[in-house]
Amino acid sequence: MKLLSVIRKSAREQWRDPLTLSLVLIFAPLTVLLYRLFFPTGSTTYTVLVLNQDAGVQQAAGQLWNAGDELMGELKQVTYADGSPMLIVEQITDRAEGETRIKNRGAQLLLILAPEFSQVLQSGMATDTATVTYVGDLTQPYYAVAAVMVNSVFEQFVKTVLGQSMPIRVTEEPLGASGARTEFENYVPGLLIFAVILLVFSAPMAVAREVEAGTLRRLQITRMRAFDFLGGITLTQMIVGVAALLLAFVVALLLGFRSQGPIWAAVVIGAVTSLSVIGVGLIVACFSRTVTQAFLIANFPLAFFMFFSGAMFPVPRLTLFTIGNQGVALFDILPPSHAVIALQKIFVLGAGLSDVTFELIALSVLSMAYFAIGVWLFKRTHLAAG
Amino acid sequence: MSNIVLQVEGLTKRYGELIAVKNLSLAVNEGEVFGFLGPNGAGKTTSINMICGLLKPDAGRVLIHGQPVTNGAGDVQARVGMCPQNVVVWERLTCLEQLQFVGEMYGLTSALARQRGAQLLERLDLIEKRDKQARTLSGGMRRRLSLMLALVHDPEIVVLDEPEAGLDPQSRIKVREFIRSLARRKTIILTTNNMDEAERVADRIAIIDHGELLVLDTPDALKRSVGEGDVLEIALNGQAGSDSVQRACQDLKQLTPGVSLDAAQSTLTVRALNAVNLLPSIMEVLATSDLRCGEVRLRANTLEDVFIQLTGRRLRE
Repeated sequence: MKLLSVIRKSAREQWRDPLTLSLVLIFAPLTVLLYRLFFPTGSTTYTVLVLNQDAGVQQAAGQLWNAGDELMGELKQVTYADGSPMLIVEQITDRAEGETRIKNRGAQLLLILAPEFSQVLQSGMATDTATVTYVGDLTQPYYAVAAVMVNSVFEQFVKTVLGQSMPIRVTEEPLGASGARTEFENYVPGLLIFAVILLVFSAPMAVAREVEAGTLRRLQITRMRAFDFLGGITLTQMIVGVAALLLAFVVALLLGFRSQGPIWAAVVIGAVTSLSVIGVGLIVACFSRTVTQAFLIANFPLAFFMFFSGAMFPVPRLTLFTIGNQGVALFDILPPSHAVIALQKIFVLGAGLSDVTFELIALSVLSMAYFAIGVWLFKRTHLAAG
Repeated sequence: MSNIVLQVEGLTKRYGELIAVKNLSLAVNEGEVFGFLGPNGAGKTTSINMICGLLKPDAGRVLIHGQPVTNGAGDVQARVGMCPQNVVVWERLTCLEQLQFVGEMYGLTSALARQRGAQLLERLDLIEKRDKQARTLSGGMRRRLSLMLALVHDPEIVVLDEPEAGLDPQSRIKVREFIRSLARRKTIILTTNNMDEAERVADRIAIIDHGELLVLDTPDALKRSVGEGDVLEIALNGQAGSDSVQRACQDLKQLTPGVSLDAAQSTLTVRALNAVNLLPSIMEVLATSDLRCGEVRLRANTLEDVFIQLTGRRLRE
């Protein structure tokens, strides 16, 4: 009864604060939209500059054969599974210009073909000097990807010209639908969880508002229990979190995102994740007396969620122990880490809820643990008679 | 003893070296308006918070109808309603919504909480604002709403911490009338440093300073304690330090013993049962001493006289 009253009251307050509500709701869908804009073709395209100094060689028929031009043509043919180009190949005439563009992040790789490129290829003789040079900033991850792609095309080109064939046939078999996923789609699970992660701000701020205004003190002398108060705020925040998640999901679908598994399973994962994130938020609230303080302290768990859960950036798993065949890593205490794995399984591998049982159990346990710690701390910090 | 509703025994609260409340003991009778007076920082709010269970005393206990409440044995939530010193309302809830919400938190059904809320809004002239959010109300309206939130569960003891602070005269009269209307049906504990407010509504008054109870009695008895009758205040226009004033004081004390000189205020105060009759003689003494008088005021004894005598003139904040 009291829990319902708190939910009703919190929902009214949330609804009547449209600025805060819309910021929480819009942020994740907006991020999804921006990510889609980063990848106009759905995946990253790598700009390769080619300084083709190849002088070419006269063929027997009297024609001039320029292997550099042919290689450039091959590079332009490299596409993703959906047919979108992987490389943007541009020919330049000045090395300095190419280096400047790489320094300014206007291109990822400069490919220099020496004047004797065609001649060496035609003769099939090894040379001491470099006839092909890759120039790039080796600290940039995009350079490495571009270099691998160009090198792969280059090796195939050389083998074709020399009439060689691979004695071993290598094939690639993607798991689930992973082979056909665009880079944008790979980011979506993390972005959806991002919608829920933001509750680590709004939940403690809702509690701190009551502390700061003195209304919690007013409620302290009523028959309300910590469970009613925190439970009411938690459930209201969860509704907001799930709404933000759904909005972000709809935007992603409209922008071309495809899910192999059931969408309702993803929503269940999002809802349980929101509970655990709010649980962390309640712990933040226990150390906050003002909204500003709650906002500042919430940055700490947010940073952990962002950088160590794998939601936004891949992180190595520091496995501590194993349960059955499931390794438990240090950052598994962060709810988003399980959520991202579960969503990727659902979206990419077509998993159902039963296939993500471990993640679901882990999220549920974390939710209960964080909520229990939050209630326990809250009783001592904000509801206890001083 | 059967009509004692609230009893406080040896209540003490320390904050490090500071003793905020020291061994406070008092009893509040059923149906009375009990004024709790003291300068800022005297320990009023700390005492009130301990009575309401918001603060844990370091020593002592609070009993309601003989049942201790500080250890949680008594049902303090249902029996006590508290209106804090600051206006505490939910900005984005309407007047009726917050009354209903607080009522529900006290265990009332939604329907009963709404009904009680509407009745209170009617009685404190806020019924027209029942569906307006608190943030749209004026300061006086918000304070009245804050007062209603303490009453929605119909408690038998109502604790009002400075209920008239920040109110305009119209709202002040309204709140005062409302408090009076509650008296007899409920026990009211009223903290204030507004003497006028206390004198007008309180049946008994406790004055507290530096955490200690100084006096506890009816307003009339307290006023009598500082002197019967009237107070004659004579402005001396800066002559208070002169020898002639000292001589005049000695001569006046022959007429009546209640003569005091406030050098800082340059005011001579004479307390006497028949100050009006003594006035010609007093003026003659002053004239003989070659003193020129400024403003001369004759007034009845007030609670403020009691308060100042007990707590002094020094500023506390």
